[in-house]
Amino acid sequence: MNVARLRQHFKIWLRIAAMSLSAQLSYGLGSFGFLLGKLIRLFFFFAYLLAIFRHTDRVAGYSLHEIALFFLTFNLIDIVAMVLFRGVYAARRVVEEGDFDYHLIQPCSPLFRMAASNVDFLDLATLAPVLALLAWAGPAVPGGLDPWRIGLYALLLANGIAIALALHVFVAGVAVRTQELENTIWIYRDLMFLGKFPVDVYAWPLRWALTFLVPIGVMVSFPAKGLLGTLSPAWTAYALTLASLLMAASVWFWKKSIAAYTSVSS
Amino acid sequence: MSKYLYVYTLSLQNVLQRRASLLMDRVGGIATLLALYFFWSSIFKDSATVAGYPKAQMLTYVLMMSLLRSLVFTGRGWEVVGEISSGRLSNYLIRPIRYLGYCLSLDLAQKTVHCAAAVFEISILILVLGAPFHIPQSPQTWVLFPIIATFSTLLFFLLEFLVASLAFWTSESGGPLFCFDLLVQFLAGAFFPLDVLPRALQAALYMTPFPYLVFFPIDVYLERAPTEMALKVLATQGAWLVVVGMAAATVWRRGLRNYAAEGG
Repeated sequence: MNVARLRQHFKIWLRIAAMSLSAQLSYGLGSFGFLLGKLIRLFFFFAYLLAIFRHTDRVAGYSLHEIALFFLTFNLIDIVAMVLFRGVYAARRVVEEGDFDYHLIQPCSPLFRMAASNVDFLDLATLAPVLALLAWAGPAVPGGLDPWRIGLYALLLANGIAIALALHVFVAGVAVRTQELENTIWIYRDLMFLGKFPVDVYAWPLRWALTFLVPIGVMVSFPAKGLLGTLSPAWTAYALTLASLLMAASVWFWKKSIAAYTSVSS
Repeated sequence: MSKYLYVYTLSLQNVLQRRASLLMDRVGGIATLLALYFFWSSIFKDSATVAGYPKAQMLTYVLMMSLLRSLVFTGRGWEVVGEISSGRLSNYLIRPIRYLGYCLSLDLAQKTVHCAAAVFEISILILVLGAPFHIPQSPQTWVLFPIIATFSTLLFFLLEFLVASLAFWTSESGGPLFCFDLLVQFLAGAFFPLDVLPRALQAALYMTPFPYLVFFPIDVYLERAPTEMALKVLATQGAWLVVVGMAAATVWRRGLRNYAAEGG
């Protein structure tokens, strides 16, 4: 994709984002309720974690600040994925109602058009408290922060978002291919709950599954481990390789799905 | 009565017919259960008791929480909002059936299936992981717990119905309902037991109906609450049921006066 095409897609994204913001602002009470709900989910879960540490010093060998780091990193990746790929949540409906035909005839990537068809600013608003809490938890980790660890954290965060993108592309591909598999994306959302805690709290088969099968652990636990300095170079290499492979496989699956698409309702 | 039974039966068939949807619904419950189960298990590796709970009691709390989430929190708030906002409510108003009873019948069918699924999941977890599970010793607990759990279910049903009735006045009631559903789960102890919170906060929460949905019923099941306390929980639930039920009925009546069947 050349620079001109990237610029064109960015302009489209800005236009869609402006329309989404306009819609959300015109839906005042509803948007306020959804935003408040998202903040409640974040703050209450965090408050309970704080409260639990009144009764214990460590969880799976981690201190309060470390557990908070895992939880906040999960939220950071989850929120960014929700903001950027929210459109995938409506993928099945878009295909089923025939709107996907319109995406295909537009002069931009149909995958981009589908994923970016809605930009949720309510999720974006929850990013600020997560970043503020990260600024509290980050510097308190043992050994302090150094540029190398921060760089590794940023790299693994980007890697986690890439894995999230790949999983969303798979889901969009399934919607185009089958038109029947309802709520596939909600399985991903439900399983993401397991990412709220470090992958180390889970027993072996589940920990293995979260590292190799449904790599939620790689997505959300590995960046925090990178910042804590407990992730070996081998696991870092595994995370980066996994994201590359998943991205390649998801794009391949998407192209195959598009090739098999037969225009559902038109 | 027979028509509500008929609605229940039809709804039961409907839920069982849509097996893929049911399976996906259960994935969420299982993920939450596993996450909290292993989270607490890892805490108990270093401590014999946490917040006054021995390991077996805390893990039973997590397992029972999963069961009560399936029983209590599978409400019909979103459907009620949709039916009022779209005007589909008119279809029910002209029929010889009470909408509240109709919703309750549908809800009970859903709860029947979800509870059966939750019992199955919990049994598997106990068998596979060897999870310690507290079995009540006192016969009073076996009598009181089902009644208290039923009251919890009715209380949440009415609370959600009350919030969903906001749809009579605004088409944007989805946001407040979303907010309410999340808030209730945290305040009810449906993620963590309320004992972990500071005492002042606990005392404030106990004055609301929310702890009576999950936290106190599990307290009774675990026999942490003596029989007198269990009876007090039951009485308080009853009082809240009357208050919330009256509020829901009043708001519903006023809402119907405001209802314009937009879109219907």
